[in-house]
Amino acid sequence: MDRDKILQTIRENKAKTAPLPKPFGSPTEKQDSGLINRFKEMLQQVGGGCFEVNGAEELHAFVGEHFPGATDFRKEETWKEFPPDCPKEKLAQLKTVMLEGQFGVAENAAIWLDETRFPNRLIPFIAEELIVCLYSKQIVQDMHEAYSKSGKNTTGFGVFISGPSKTADIEQNLVFGAHGAKKYSVIFY
Amino acid sequence: MTGHAQQAGQFLKNRERAAWHDETLWIVRQKRDKMARAVPEWEDLREQASQIKQHTLSELDNYLVQFEKQAQKNGAQVHWAGDAARFNEVVSGIIKENNATKVVKSKSMLTEECGLNPFLEKKGIGVTDTDLGERIIQFREEPPSHIVMPAIHLKKEEIGELFHEKLHTEKGNFDPTYLTAAARVHLRQKFLEAEVAITGVNFAVAETGTVVVCTNEGNADMGVHAAPVQIHCVGIEKMIPRMTELGVFIRLLARSATGQPITTYTSHYQRPKPGGQMHIVIVDNGRSEHLGREDYRNALKCIRCGACMNTCPVYRRSGGHSYGSVIPGPIGSILAPHSHIKNYNDLPFASSLCGSCSDVCPVKIDIHDQLYRWRQDLSEKKRISPTKRHTMKIAGKILAGSKMYDFSGKMARWGIKNLPRKLVYNRLNVWGKERELPEVPKESFKQWYKRTQQGKGGKNGQG
Amino acid sequence: MNLKNLQIGLFIPCYIDQFYPQVGIATLELLQKLGLDVHYPLKQTCCGQPMANSGAEKEAISTYKNFIQNFSPFDYVVSPSSSCVYHVREHYNILEQTDEVKKVRQNTFELCEFIVDILKTDDLKIEYPHKVGIHQSCHGLRGLKLGSPSELVTERSSKIHQLLSKAKEIEIIIPDREDECCGFGGTFSVFHPDVSVSMGKDRLSAHLRNGAEIITATDMSCLMHLEGIARRQKHNLKAVHIAEILNSNRL
Repeated sequence: MDRDKILQTIRENKAKTAPLPKPFGSPTEKQDSGLINRFKEMLQQVGGGCFEVNGAEELHAFVGEHFPGATDFRKEETWKEFPPDCPKEKLAQLKTVMLEGQFGVAENAAIWLDETRFPNRLIPFIAEELIVCLYSKQIVQDMHEAYSKSGKNTTGFGVFISGPSKTADIEQNLVFGAHGAKKYSVIFY
Repeated sequence: MTGHAQQAGQFLKNRERAAWHDETLWIVRQKRDKMARAVPEWEDLREQASQIKQHTLSELDNYLVQFEKQAQKNGAQVHWAGDAARFNEVVSGIIKENNATKVVKSKSMLTEECGLNPFLEKKGIGVTDTDLGERIIQFREEPPSHIVMPAIHLKKEEIGELFHEKLHTEKGNFDPTYLTAAARVHLRQKFLEAEVAITGVNFAVAETGTVVVCTNEGNADMGVHAAPVQIHCVGIEKMIPRMTELGVFIRLLARSATGQPITTYTSHYQRPKPGGQMHIVIVDNGRSEHLGREDYRNALKCIRCGACMNTCPVYRRSGGHSYGSVIPGPIGSILAPHSHIKNYNDLPFASSLCGSCSDVCPVKIDIHDQLYRWRQDLSEKKRISPTKRHTMKIAGKILAGSKMYDFSGKMARWGIKNLPRKLVYNRLNVWGKERELPEVPKESFKQWYKRTQQGKGGKNGQG
Repeated sequence: MNLKNLQIGLFIPCYIDQFYPQVGIATLELLQKLGLDVHYPLKQTCCGQPMANSGAEKEAISTYKNFIQNFSPFDYVVSPSSSCVYHVREHYNILEQTDEVKKVRQNTFELCEFIVDILKTDDLKIEYPHKVGIHQSCHGLRGLKLGSPSELVTERSSKIHQLLSKAKEIEIIIPDREDECCGFGGTFSVFHPDVSVSMGKDRLSAHLRNGAEIITATDMSCLMHLEGIARRQKHNLKAVHIAEILNSNRL
């Protein structure tokens, strides 16, 4: 009933049809090196840490050396350890979590991650520290490109993450780790 | 003095605090400027966003139907609520059906508008607002003073005291990091216990049935992914056509709101989690009526960024509570009179019509024009004081013809010049409370002109 | 453009007529020095803005009509008031748009924009050895686009600045929050006095802090408000309308 009344009122009241503008064409950015540098600049601005290695093999060694204790969801075994119906209390114990990002956005250091990257949707948010590995060539210029890349994404949940969780609600003082990750880093490879 | 003027007067009594509030919000406006200038195509983006909203509102019924269909295909349950009362019933219905009593809620001005929290409390359902600023004002039992930064009117000392009382933090410890950490622990408990999570919606994508929520804290996600039942509340005007259009708004929102390139989390909820329920409640509450008001329709484009508040010199110096409306500031002043013309008839006058709000609005709402239009409509609907109406009628007659005008001017000048200062600067002289009246010249321009210029040949002379 | 053939109608806002005739005189003299044939219709009264801004637009119609009647004979109408000009160009849309009304609306200009855009000149041969703070009146800045508001992402510009920067010996002061509203806002100044005065005081402080000795603007209403506060607080700061500064020239 509400539905019909609402739709009816809208039909009576809406203005003459205005055209939908063509998709926004933003000026094209320089080549790849420009993109990654911009990304890194913005990452610093949003409070994220940055590491750079050369290729997948170096990445493997780097992670082993610097984040040996991380719960690495790029590995299948970790998915078995934390199945989809895993109790929340177990997830709440997660300290450092590592995920594989799908692509990054240079204008705001955001990285797209959908639920093909983690077995439970709480994982990117509940961890104390979040580390995202990103293949350096997978960086687009802006959100227009980002949405044409993620497209009509068919997974049930996806998120752009840019930096650690933060708040400035106490007298505009910036504090990291309001509810989500207190610390956030990206490893480019 | 009417509502806002009186409240503002109170606010300004504490000069130091008012100056601090003003400066704090000005800094947010500057952050916005810096971010906007870093996007050379900023003004084109605004135009694009405005046109997208214009189009969507002109096809709103079709987009709502499309959204519903897609969302249902995705496994979400879609409900419709014509007004606030109905909305509250729907939400409490879902909660009751699931035998839930523990509810967490992330920021939603729509739920504020409908009075959801007090409604649920009456039904014995405890709601915890999880946005830090919202939790603070929930503890204080007061409304938000800003739609993005609800506790912007509070100092850290006050929050420290509050947390000592409510969360047993150390007395006298006002360190924001310490206090935030305490809130994190407290609210994490709530997230893990919650049976239902309620969120607002920044954008609803018709093409895919996706609900998009932007937060810096991650509280929407903590709630939604932990609780078995998630409820997303969306005003009908939050529809956008496709994912393509989303890019424009995501680029504009955080830059306009807080001067950030993007919020930390931009979450796209599309399907319920395995074993979970996903509900979407589509709310009207006067919006479809508003759509029919040609002069004011543009206000439905609002994406709730708060930039108009940050730039408004009046808002900064009076605080959100002075408006007495759910949404304060410039956008609030053009929205509120629709919902309750009697309570808010002074809000369109609480402005110097400087026009800065319209310039910062990411969707180009003609706020200052609507403020002007409201003044005419309120006058016509006889919603201004009889004294004011009468004064205006007299003024209209005086200013229509030069004889009466010249005479009145002469009287005014004579009065200011010759009456004793005490009489002129009396209690009724509102101007004179903190300002000198202009000095009175020997003659008016017209008198000077008649005396010196008339009858001269050549280029000088009367038209 | 043959200036000698142009018929210019001079519109002097009501409060300038009554309280600041020197601004009207300066405007008249300046336009004459620039070679124009300037007329001052004696039956003019007011543009109607104070009433319209208070919501009494309908009551102001007879005032609007008086304006149109007085000024329709002219090629251009020039006024030392950006808010009045803004009102005529924007809000006279409620009148029936006859050819007469359209002509007056399109050809009514504020003094600075008239000099820069129509006369296409900006060097008025002024010498003005003072520290002058520019106050960007909102209706002029945002309404008539006499300059670029700081919140818009556009190329920076300002007609007042353009004209003043050509003056010899002048030191132009741009205060912080360069285009924040002064708080006059018409009847706002008396119906919301606390906020109005607070805004005015802040503007004044910003100018004083940056060393201004004189504040200038295209709107005498802003200056009346700021000067009113300055005099009550016993500051030495003077408010001088842009017409007076531009008229202090050797043309």
